[in-house]
Order: sequence, then structure tokens, then C-alpha cells
Amino acid sequence: MARMKFYCDVERCIECNGCVTACKNENEVPWGVNRRRVVTIKDGEPGERSLSVACMHCSDAPCAAVCPVDCFYTTDDGVVLHDKDICIGCGYCFYACPFGAPQFPEDGAFASRGKMDKCTFCAGGPEQDNSAEEQRKYGSNRLAEGKLPLCAEMCATKALLAGDANIISTIYRTRVVNRGASVLSRGVSYQNAELRAARGVKGKSSLND
Amino acid sequence: MIGELIDGPLWYIASGTFLLGVVWRLFSILRVGVAQDFAPPKGNGPAGAVRTVFSRFLPRHPVVTRGRLQLIAGYMFHLGLFALLFFARPHVDFIAERITGTEWAVLPHWGFIIASEIAFAGLIMLWLHRLLHPVTRLLSSADDYIGTVLVFLVMLTGCLALAQSFEPLRLLHLFLAELLLIYFPFSNLMHAFTFIISRGYTGATMARKGVNA
Amino acid sequence: MTGFFSPPPLKGILSLLLVMLLLPAFPSFGATADLEQSVQPIQIPNPASDLWREVRQRDAAMTGSTQALGVDGGVLINPTGEKWRQFRMQQLLPYGGYALGAVVLILLLFYTLRGRVPIKAGMSDKKLFRYSVYERMIHWFMALIFLFLAFSGLILLFGRSLLLPLMGPALFSLLASASKEGHNLFGPLFALALVLIFFRFVRRNIYQKGDLTWLLRGGGVIGKKHVPSNFFNMGEKSLFWLLVFVGGAIAASGFFLLFPVFGQGRVVMELSHVVHGIGALLMLSVIIGHIYIGTIGMEGAIEGMKSGYCDLNWAREHHDWWAEKCEQRGEVLDRDQPISARGADALGTPSGQMSEEAGK
Repeated sequence: MARMKFYCDVERCIECNGCVTACKNENEVPWGVNRRRVVTIKDGEPGERSLSVACMHCSDAPCAAVCPVDCFYTTDDGVVLHDKDICIGCGYCFYACPFGAPQFPEDGAFASRGKMDKCTFCAGGPEQDNSAEEQRKYGSNRLAEGKLPLCAEMCATKALLAGDANIISTIYRTRVVNRGASVLSRGVSYQNAELRAARGVKGKSSLND
Repeated sequence: MIGELIDGPLWYIASGTFLLGVVWRLFSILRVGVAQDFAPPKGNGPAGAVRTVFSRFLPRHPVVTRGRLQLIAGYMFHLGLFALLFFARPHVDFIAERITGTEWAVLPHWGFIIASEIAFAGLIMLWLHRLLHPVTRLLSSADDYIGTVLVFLVMLTGCLALAQSFEPLRLLHLFLAELLLIYFPFSNLMHAFTFIISRGYTGATMARKGVNA
Repeated sequence: MTGFFSPPPLKGILSLLLVMLLLPAFPSFGATADLEQSVQPIQIPNPASDLWREVRQRDAAMTGSTQALGVDGGVLINPTGEKWRQFRMQQLLPYGGYALGAVVLILLLFYTLRGRVPIKAGMSDKKLFRYSVYERMIHWFMALIFLFLAFSGLILLFGRSLLLPLMGPALFSLLASASKEGHNLFGPLFALALVLIFFRFVRRNIYQKGDLTWLLRGGGVIGKKHVPSNFFNMGEKSLFWLLVFVGGAIAASGFFLLFPVFGQGRVVMELSHVVHGIGALLMLSVIIGHIYIGTIGMEGAIEGMKSGYCDLNWAREHHDWWAEKCEQRGEVLDRDQPISARGADALGTPSGQMSEEAGK
């Protein structure tokens, strides 16, 4: 089976927050919950980079390990999902997750943590695929429709990649080969065109024009 | 099946019993009436009644010093419970849906927390006092314990159901609340209504006699 | 067959090499014609590797900026989460379980070997006033809340491994949710009980001369000789201070976990959970011992907390300095003597406290 992964290409992300907006809109995420967020490092300094981050759908997911009611499960596609009927909103997954993916709506009478909400890789939840119930609790199930997560589909610069890990890594590998390890370490990408042409590497090359 | 019973018929039976029971109890008390006092009045009876109903909210000095703990715990419990009962969001939603049809202002979440903590602390303290103090222990009857335990269980299940996402927990809370409603008119819990009558009666007779009570 | 063993195309090797050499600062493409001119000592820092070092927080905690409102939004990777997971799953759960089991086992063993500690002189027909109504109230208030918190906490800690397989996910989730909400609501009451207990009992729990001897002889368990003590013995005083400090730490860390709305980050909550877990299990182990002595472990021990009066012979055998003082002042009562006014007063003060204050 496929193993679904996200990858955010830092050389391409322009911090437009289009992925965040797409996610919120597609999944009708409640207020105060951001399944995906864009973090900018060294904002306004040399070497500024932005990364779009959400649940990374870990192979050995810390959230699933620490959950006191064992509400997490991994689908055949390698997507980590959880059952909101079982979740008690204790917040342990939030402590364990390195990426800050689990989010809690402040609801219930005490504004204590409500049911946990996180990125589902647009794969819904344990309910019947694309049922109204699933839509209400977990948002859209695009995977069942044969589509990929909307955040990645909407990404204007194709920085955010989502899909089978093998395909994602192939795409990324090609990009890296084309531009060199990093635009910053190698200067601007087209300056390396000569280098690429000399090695017969495919890509934009001023020499070939 | 049981859930439907608790949510439907039993709720109507319980609230009906509560309403009719309270009306019947109040009616039977008021029907007894007051013995005719032929002495010339030395003061205004009705005014005394109204005054005493409110003045007794503040206990007299010896009561304050001797029963400081019951006073504090008593106010904590009653005020907390009142706030929880009528101004907690789930209760307002429930009452609005089933009875009044309109909502009113609800407590913010921190207000809810404080009210329930206060109510629990007060109730447990009063309960322990009843059990541990030799005099109140002798004075207490089964009725007092049943009332206390029922109120405590209703509050406890309410707090266990706070996540508002598990139907059985809500039904358990509702079921115990219904038991409480049925039990209410036939027990000491009627003091929630009769305290006005007893204070008013005392105030009126005393004021008529010209006694500052 | 030859095709199978033939070397893979050069391009393939090249791209493989490139990916492998992504992370270190590597200014050269390697194995090609311009190898000689590009192999030079690395001078320029590689911002790409710096970036990932920062994202992984290798050197120091750093945060980026983000449009997402919320605490810790700018933290891309929080490395302490994994440490917390290791602590909870590999230390707290197994060792906590062993500790509780060991305490119960030790007590069972002690009970079978030594049996119940009797009142050697037998129950007398005299009694001493020991705890006022108020003192008994706050003790049982604390006891009720502690037990509720202990059970609900244990369900959340050990439930997944012990109860979930038995009950199934739907029923266990219901129980766990109830436990969580109840635990959250009763937590602040524990803090209240702690404050009340502290102010009421602190004066009688200050360590004094003779406590060290009591400790060295294990409260009379080691050796045959009797160890004297005052209103509270060394063990009870230690329980009190443990309750104040460890219980205080449990309550304080609980507040950080209970109200995730004051802007505390994940690291604070993870640390709070560590403190909360260790403290609670320690306190629970000690309290199991306390309950043991109060119920089946010792004859006459619970009388004072039940009725407010303790047996004179029990007092002589376990709190002899206090019993002596009471006898000197003639405060010994007959067993069937009616309730004294002082005992009935909710805020009455037992004589032990008076005598100790006078003694200081």
C-alpha cells in the first residue's frame, strides 16, 4: 500500500498561508483550531524560510502511544487518524506530539479541552466514508474520492507536497538535483546552470537556450 | 430504550410530580391558616413578615460565632448550587428547550468552575458536619441523608458528564435529577419554598405583638 | 545477465550522491570533470543545514513567527515531547505500577507476619478528647477528595493497559471521560482541603526532640522497646509534611494542566505532568500505608477520627507524652460520659494543642 506523507519544500514556500485557508475551508475547522499552520523562521533576517506544518502522520506516532483511551489508528495508507467518539480531550497527544499538530477547541461547559482535532490528511475518520457524520466531525474525506489533501493541491508554488512517500521523494529529489542543495548555499539557482549543463543534468539552463 | 424512557416519559412524570407535589404541599400548609389573634395589634404584621423573610438571611450574632462553619458552608453550597442550576449553559439550554423556550444569560466558564467548586465544598462540609457533630447526628433523620445523598449524586454525575459527549453519562445525570424531583415535594428539601412561609409567619406574629424578632 | 550486473547509469549515482550529501555543507557536486577545481575547504556556512538545526532545536529553543494564534504556534518541532513520552510510557507506567504493588505487598506481608497492633493493656473505660468536629471534618473532607482523585487518576494512568481490554473502547472511554472531568473538578477542592489541613494541624506537626529516636527505631517496629511520642508521632508528622509539600506540588502542577488557557506552553505542561505523576504515586503509596494503620493495622487508631475521643490505654501506648499531660490536667473522661461542650463545638480546640502550645 501507499504510505502517505507531507513534505514542505522550504525553498519554495512563500508564506502565503493558502494551505491554511484551504484546510480551514475544506474541513470546516472550528474556531481556534488550526490543523495546519505556516511558521516563518528568521522572519525579516537573512536566511528567512517558511514551512507549512501539520500532522506528519508518523510511523511510530507519539500521540497514539500516550493516548490513555487508545483512540488513534493508522490506516492502510499510513494516515494517522483518531476516533472522536472515544477521545476524552485529556491533551496527552498534544504534549507528546513534536509538531504541535493536535488542537483542542475550547468548548464544553468549563472550556476545558474538547475533543482533539488534527489534520486527517483529508481522510476523514472512522465513520462511513463521506457521510454527513464524518464531514461534521472530521471534515472532508478527499482520499476516499481519490484526491489528495487540499492544502497541497492548492499550494501556489507547489512547495507543499502530499501523497505517496515514494512519489513525493522522487519529486523532491529531482528538484534538489536541479537547483543544488540549497539556493542559499549555492547562490541563485540559475547561476548553477553552467554547472548542470556541464554534467548533463536536466533543468533550466541558460546555456541551452 | 432505557435512555428514551429517561429522556421522555420519566422526565414528564418527574416534573409533573414535582410541580403538583409542591403545589399540594404549599396548599396544605396555607390551608391550615393562622389562629385569630384578638389582641389589639402593636405593630404592622405584614411589614414584619416581609422584613423577617429578608433579615433572617443574616443570622444573629450568637449563631454567627457558634455556627460559623455551617453558615459559611451553607451559603457556599446554596449560592453555588443556585448559580449552577439556573446559569450553567447546559441547564439553560435544557430548560429553554423543554420549558421556557427562551434562553437567558449564562455564566462564563470560569464562573461555572467557581460555582461548582463552591457548591461541592459546601455540600461535602455540611454533610460531614451532620455526620460528625454529635448534636446534628442525633437530630438527623433518614430524610436528611437521602436528600443530601441525592443532591450530591446529581451534582457528581453532572460533573462527570461535563464533557457533554457521552449520552449515557447525561442520561445518568438526568435520571438522578428526576429522582430528586420526585423526592423533593415529600421531603425536607421543601424548605426551598417553605422557608418564606415560616419566616413570614414568625415575622408577622412577632411584629403584631410588637416584638423585635 | 550482463545487463543485470552492469553498473547503473552515471546519472543515477550522481543523484543518489547528491541526496546523501544534502545535509552537510557541501559546496561541490563531486565525481565529475570539474572535481579538481571545486574541491576546496568549506568556507561559507550552509544556511540550509543551519535552518534544519534550528528547526530541530539542536542548539537552543527557537521559535518562528506564524499567523496561527495560539501558544507555541511558532515552534516547529518540540523535542521535549518525545522525552515526555519516554517518561510516561517507560518509567511512570511500569515503575509506578510496581511501586503501588510493592506497597500493598509489603503491608500484606507485615500483616501476616506481625498481625494487628493491639492495645496491650486492653481497652480501658476511660477516654481522652483528641479531635474536634472541625478537625475531623477537614480530615474526612480531604480523605473523600483524595480517594476520588486517586481512583480517577489511576483509571487515566493504568486504564488503557488494565481496563480497556476488559471493558472495550466505548465503555472505557465513557469511564475515562467521567474520570477526567471529575478529576479536573475535584482537583481544586484538594487544594482547598490542603490549605485547611495545613493551618489547622501545622502547630502540632513541628518536629521536636525524640522524633529522631522514633525514626531510628522505625516507630517501634524495629526492636521490642516502646518509643514515646507526643500528640503526633514522627510518622504522622512526616505524613503531614509530605502532604503539605508533595501534595502542594501535585496541586500546583495540576493547575497548570487543568487550565490550558493561561498561555503556558507544552514544555511547562510536560514538566507539570512529570511532577504530578511522580508526586501522586508517591503520595498514594504513603496514604495506602496511612489507611492500613487506620483500619486493619492498629487497634483503636481510628477511634479519635471517628468519635473525637480515643481510648486512654491506646493514648498511653502510642502518644504517651500527650496522654501524661492530659492525665496531669485531669482531662480523662469516663467512656460513657456524655459529649462535652467543647467536643460538640465545631471549632473547639483539643487539649493536646493547648498543652503543646503551652510547652513551647
